[in-house]
Amino acid sequence: MAREFASKGVNFIFVYTREAHPGENYPAHRSFEQKLDHARAFKGEFKVERPLLVDDLTGTAHKLYGSLPNMTYLISRGGKVLFRADWTDPPTIEYTINYVLDSRARRREGLRLAPFYAEFAGYRWNDPAKFQEGLARAGQQAVDDFSRAMEKRLKQPLRPGRIELSE
Amino acid sequence: MDEETEIEIYNYSEFVGSEEFMTFRTHLPVGSSAPDCEAKLLETGQPVKLSEYWKKSDVLIEFGSFT
Repeated sequence: MAREFASKGVNFIFVYTREAHPGENYPAHRSFEQKLDHARAFKGEFKVERPLLVDDLTGTAHKLYGSLPNMTYLISRGGKVLFRADWTDPPTIEYTINYVLDSRARRREGLRLAPFYAEFAGYRWNDPAKFQEGLARAGQQAVDDFSRAMEKRLKQPLRPGRIELSE
Repeated sequence: MDEETEIEIYNYSEFVGSEEFMTFRTHLPVGSSAPDCEAKLLETGQPVKLSEYWKKSDVLIEFGSFT
């Protein structure tokens, strides 16, 4: 997708943050060298071709953008936030970029367009087996911590702001 | 807070599931100017500003980690 959109004037970059699920194999960063090592391992495993930027050890970039583990922003040429999501979902990204590119094309064709603001509830494909695989790669501690956190969450009301598909 | 403490708090060593999903919704709304800062390019180790990317084109920024 990054390659396809690069030819249409949208570039993709990846910012490497703290470890969301630290474990024995990939523990919490205590030095920048260690963070670089983890980023290299990540790039190798997932064949990341996009420019990979490693945030500093205190998470300066990550905090500026909201500190979530897997978020995405679309920034316009010129530096305005056009789209943001609290989870990275490729089909949603593809849809959104095409929407922006189509809108610009329609304006170029002479259509009069007025800007408006919108939000929507997103639904992403969830693959628990793949997620568990990732946790296991980090180490047993990551598996155990996640399962403890989920047990705790089950005892609490649904996360506020969560919108079920059936609602 | 000294830097070492800040590093240990930010890079938590145990996941407890307390991410700020609701805070995110109002943190940097659509239409805001994207905040700029420097990060290091993994390939070269060179510092690069995020704004260098949006000066040239639209840019999709994904955040994440190996774990």
